[in-house]
Amino acid sequence: MNKMTRKQQVWLVTSWEFMHFFKWKQEIISKLILISIALVVMLWQQIKDDQLTLYKVAVPANTTQFKDSGQFKFSLSNKSFEVLKLELAEEGRWDAVLSETPATNSIKKITIYSKDKQSWLNDLTLTLNQQSTLQYASSLGLAQEQLTLLNQSASFENKYLDDNIKSENSPGRTTAITMLVILSVGIFTSFGQLFVSITGEKQQRVTEQLYACMSPQTWIDGKIFGQMLHSFKAMITMMITGLLAYAFTTIVVSNKMLNLSIIDWSLLPWLLPFAIVGVYLCTAFMAAIAAAIDDPNHSAKTSIMLLPLLPMLLALITMDSPSGWALSFLSYFPLTAFAAMPVKMSVIDVPLWQPLLSLLLTAILCFWVRTSAGNLFKMGMSMYGKEPSLKDMVMWMLHKN
Amino acid sequence: MELLVKNVQKSYAKVTAIKNLTFKVKQGEIFALLGPNGAGKSSLVRMLTGFTSPDSGNISLTIDGQTHASIPSYTLGYLPEDRGLYPEKTVKKNLTYFAQLNGVDKATALEQAKYWLERFDLLDRLDAQLKTLSKGNQQKVQLITAVIHQPKWVILDEPFSGLDPINQEKVVTFLSELKAKGMTVILSAHQMSMVEKLADRMLLMNLGETVLYGNLEDIQKQVGSTTQLKAKFEGEISREQLELQFNNTEYILAEEKTVSLNLTAQQSINDALSKLTSLGTLVELHSIKMDLHQLYLNAIAKHGALKNE
Repeated sequence: MNKMTRKQQVWLVTSWEFMHFFKWKQEIISKLILISIALVVMLWQQIKDDQLTLYKVAVPANTTQFKDSGQFKFSLSNKSFEVLKLELAEEGRWDAVLSETPATNSIKKITIYSKDKQSWLNDLTLTLNQQSTLQYASSLGLAQEQLTLLNQSASFENKYLDDNIKSENSPGRTTAITMLVILSVGIFTSFGQLFVSITGEKQQRVTEQLYACMSPQTWIDGKIFGQMLHSFKAMITMMITGLLAYAFTTIVVSNKMLNLSIIDWSLLPWLLPFAIVGVYLCTAFMAAIAAAIDDPNHSAKTSIMLLPLLPMLLALITMDSPSGWALSFLSYFPLTAFAAMPVKMSVIDVPLWQPLLSLLLTAILCFWVRTSAGNLFKMGMSMYGKEPSLKDMVMWMLHKN
Repeated sequence: MELLVKNVQKSYAKVTAIKNLTFKVKQGEIFALLGPNGAGKSSLVRMLTGFTSPDSGNISLTIDGQTHASIPSYTLGYLPEDRGLYPEKTVKKNLTYFAQLNGVDKATALEQAKYWLERFDLLDRLDAQLKTLSKGNQQKVQLITAVIHQPKWVILDEPFSGLDPINQEKVVTFLSELKAKGMTVILSAHQMSMVEKLADRMLLMNLGETVLYGNLEDIQKQVGSTTQLKAKFEGEISREQLELQFNNTEYILAEEKTVSLNLTAQQSINDALSKLTSLGTLVELHSIKMDLHQLYLNAIAKHGALKNE
């Protein structure tokens, strides 16, 4: 028998904890679904590209004429509308046939006939509308510039004296909100699982057997790391799912090109360390709570579990006043900094020391919560099935055993 | 290498669980902790494993020149009173996990798991989920968990509880094998017949105090009585008559007709018999060599009576 190092034991508990909640069948099915969606998106893009020049639109002689534009080719035909409609329905020679109803109240009505409902019909309508507007402007003797001015007589923009505030069009805001959503998923994944895991092992009376092999701190550390791995797995899955959903709606539903400029790439390197300390802090906090719960069915302490939602909510609420005292305070306060500082960074340029200080303060709190969790578990073991009071817990967290 | 427990005291809130306890456990022996429920055995075990610390006094174990205040986890095998493993996992996963946590590589852990499962006729359940095993078999798996990493010191809290007589005998063989392998076993149990067979030395506790301590011979000497005579009379016997004849002997008078006498090694049965016949006509007489169970009951009753005085 070799003397096991603490690091080896932590790793062993981490992998046991991770694999305890890792279900191969479920993972394979969910990943296959994601791959299928990705394949659909890619195939759709391919099909769409192939179909770009295929839309042939027949325009009868008595109808307003349109110029070819993008994926649409307009063909003037001397055939009657009825014949063209027949060719559309039976021969597949056309993708669409236009028909114009005589103008009433100076507004002409153009009907687009197609075999069935297609997503490109929206683009065709848009193209026809643009060309009609230009034709009408031309008939009024308006130049292109005059028409543009008519559509938008003035432009509006916000300018701030504080140069650090990023422009409204900056993608940082979207990135930060997305990060908060993804972070919530990660935190609640580990939160729920760790609660089940710790209270479950206490109820199965396995803790005393474990305690004989390693220190309570080693056990708690392994549990936290194991659940953190699950958190990151959930967050990565969420990110991929979100990206695929975005790609699906953009490419397949809206028939547009994928636009990744909605992501603030400069913010991304900061999001990772904040996500790590945030997930660690909340998981360690959960470990401390669960370590003090003997019976989850009869414990009043389970209500504290909603607390980690607060940093995310507070960061969202204060987001619109990035220079205000509230967001400034929250971005340094160790319990909320992991959520508030990235949000602040998304809407305002901050000097380097600010996120670094924020990370440092959170890391110190993480260390304290993690050692408190170990201490709570150790002391809870000596309670012989009784649950400690909040006063006991506070004393133990202050290491006054 | 001896485990020394000196003047140890432990209290929880207003209850004193251990009072001034002193004893030692020698390397390689089977040492039994005996006592009724609430005697303080589990509190003592928790201090020996290092889960809790004494309020005063000290526990010391020197290994390789280093003195420890409890049995260090890397050399400890432990069967807790509160049993529990991972019921959803297989027997193999449970055993190899705990062996690995104690520093055994996976291949050796599996080899050891198979060895001990075979000894308990459980090898065919290696890949079964733990929860599918009977309670007794789960208990055996838990016993294996305590020793799979071949520790030098083993603490077993109630290893016989929940087992039928056949499996209790298997545990006796198992414990003898541990001793043969050079392990020191500290055993807490209520099954006196098993303890009598196994234990080299023992500590009998009551209300957190030492009542008896030593090997069986020492304990018999400490108790004083080794033989019990049970006599039934035809007629009633008065307490005064008994007191007159047996003023130096422990006795119990039941239903005015039955007398139990605890004789010391110095007292002769013949002498006692002649005194008994002088009291009246005997209809039944039994001579019982007091076993550990009887010694235990007598000692606890005596200690309890002393405390109540």
